[in-house]
Amino acid sequence: MKLVRGMGRVFTSNWKLTTGLVLLLLLILTAVTSPLIASAVGGGQDPVAIAAYEKWQVPSPDHWLGTDQFGRDVFAMVIGALAVSLKVGAIAGVISTIAGVLMAFIAGYKGGAVDGVLSTFTDMVLVVPSFPLLIALSAYTKNVGITQVALMLAVFSWPFAARTIRAHVLSLRARPYVELAKVTKFRDLEIIAYELLPNMLPYIGVGFASSALGAIFALVGLEVIGLGPGETIDLGKIIFSAIGTGALTLGAWPMFVAPILLLTLLFAALNLCNIGLEEVYNPRLRGVAGA
Amino acid sequence: MSSEVAVEPGRVRSWLAAHPLASYAVRRFGLYLVELWGAVTVAFFFFRLIPGDPIQTFIQTLQQNYVYNAQASAAVIDRYRAEFGLDGNLFSQYLHYMYRVLFQQSLGPSLINYPTPAQDVIMRALPWTVGLLGLSAVLAWVIGLLVGALAGWRRGKAGADLVTNVAIALSHVPYYFLALILTFVFAYQLAWLPARSAYNARLTPGISPEFIFSLLKYGLLPSLSIVVIGVFSWLLSTRMLMVPVLGEDYLTYAQAKGLRPRKILTKYALRNCYLPQVTAFGISLGFIFNGNVLVEQLFNYPGLGATLVNAIQILDFNTILGVTNLAIFAVLTANLILDLLLPLLDPRVKYWR
Repeated sequence: MKLVRGMGRVFTSNWKLTTGLVLLLLLILTAVTSPLIASAVGGGQDPVAIAAYEKWQVPSPDHWLGTDQFGRDVFAMVIGALAVSLKVGAIAGVISTIAGVLMAFIAGYKGGAVDGVLSTFTDMVLVVPSFPLLIALSAYTKNVGITQVALMLAVFSWPFAARTIRAHVLSLRARPYVELAKVTKFRDLEIIAYELLPNMLPYIGVGFASSALGAIFALVGLEVIGLGPGETIDLGKIIFSAIGTGALTLGAWPMFVAPILLLTLLFAALNLCNIGLEEVYNPRLRGVAGA
Repeated sequence: MSSEVAVEPGRVRSWLAAHPLASYAVRRFGLYLVELWGAVTVAFFFFRLIPGDPIQTFIQTLQQNYVYNAQASAAVIDRYRAEFGLDGNLFSQYLHYMYRVLFQQSLGPSLINYPTPAQDVIMRALPWTVGLLGLSAVLAWVIGLLVGALAGWRRGKAGADLVTNVAIALSHVPYYFLALILTFVFAYQLAWLPARSAYNARLTPGISPEFIFSLLKYGLLPSLSIVVIGVFSWLLSTRMLMVPVLGEDYLTYAQAKGLRPRKILTKYALRNCYLPQVTAFGISLGFIFNGNVLVEQLFNYPGLGATLVNAIQILDFNTILGVTNLAIFAVLTANLILDLLLPLLDPRVKYWR
């Protein structure tokens, strides 16, 4: 009960964290219920099936965002695509966060030569421009599924997580209570699991969110230039087909405005959470970060 | 350096001990070389691990254009393989590549424009990228710094807080989102500005007022999308550096002395943010490079990004590695220069550690 009240206080006092989380939850909820929404839009039929309706319809009460070049309902398509994009982000985020946490804890906790080698390696991966590598990889993995693409994206998103988490490990490691645990002959693994990890959870959360977001945007970027996994429709694919089919010239604005808006909302939500969390954990920043 | 150490190890060591700044510079430079070698090596092996045979594809294209009537002979294929540095096992390819880059200052022939050397292809694209992206990035940095300082200075006022909140929401939105929206509005709906290419194809490139005007007109949309998003993110970080400074005693003292607010802002407060921001700018160079691939591709701008995408599509390894290594070199060198300069510019930076 005390915990709930404490959390409540955090949320009421920090509008950024609250707004960010609410936005994020709404987006996830929309994605999870996307099959229901799609069937409601199609009235039982699949509204994203090819040529279900007339082509290039303008937004109307029947089709809130109009239809595309094949006669698919853009609203249903965008909602379905949001679910796919979030799934990619979740898979890539989980993998790169695990890799980043392992890397950060080994480097930050062991220190010395181990830290030197691992950090230099992290910096090297960070400095190699990842986008060209991604283009190269994806140009030759056209026929893979969304899960494989998420794995591929994870390979490039772990260094960011590793770096930020390592910085926090370094500062936590020097705290007196960790020294105390060391003196009382706790094993390293126990110290990491019971003393360090619980305090790191918010930062790991932020690391997860930013790797997930990075993966989603990287995939969108790939698709915008016409490279990406084949069959599935995610938000980037819709933007790409909007460019490719001339939706820009035809004035079919929902086809690219809707996905861009959703992605911007997703970004804003995570950024707000990020700044809000920093403020909660670092009172000196209150009123500094943001407004 | 190594020969010096071999001749008089003791004297060099004691000289370095007596000159911490010099020893820092030597150590930093050594780290730079290691990082450079490491990143180039990572990139080399990464690209070589991609499946696909560029030479087969190249021969097929030649055949489709009726350059060869019969099936290409094994001898021809071998010759091309040797010329592009694709013969032997991966490790000997790597040694060969490093030897060619280091001792012959050559990246090898490009596959896109065979037999033009890859470095010529890159040098042709470089001015466009530097002109468009370099200029936009610097512009975004300068504007972001000034607006951010002002937003921090006037915090709590409605206008400044509005700007800050907009920046929070939009600071990391990818460049190409804005590029798309701007293209839709200004190129297709209003038809004020061209949507693609770098200049009016009917003009001959040269230093004429007409051509320069066309250059500016075609560059406006891609540049604007980079500048606007860039300003938001620089604004936010400058404000974050600025606000804690504002409570410091020396600012109160400056106020008590009766200095004009504008002078306090520029001479006292802003000085504290621009050094960290210079460092951040150096680090961000690499990310500018990542973003530019998409912006150039969207606007069909003949820069490095577009060259890279074309090269990747036919696995032109020499050009791909050339562009990638250039980016790595730029980022690491910028960071090296900053690390060496900062102790001189800001006395609070400790260089000895």
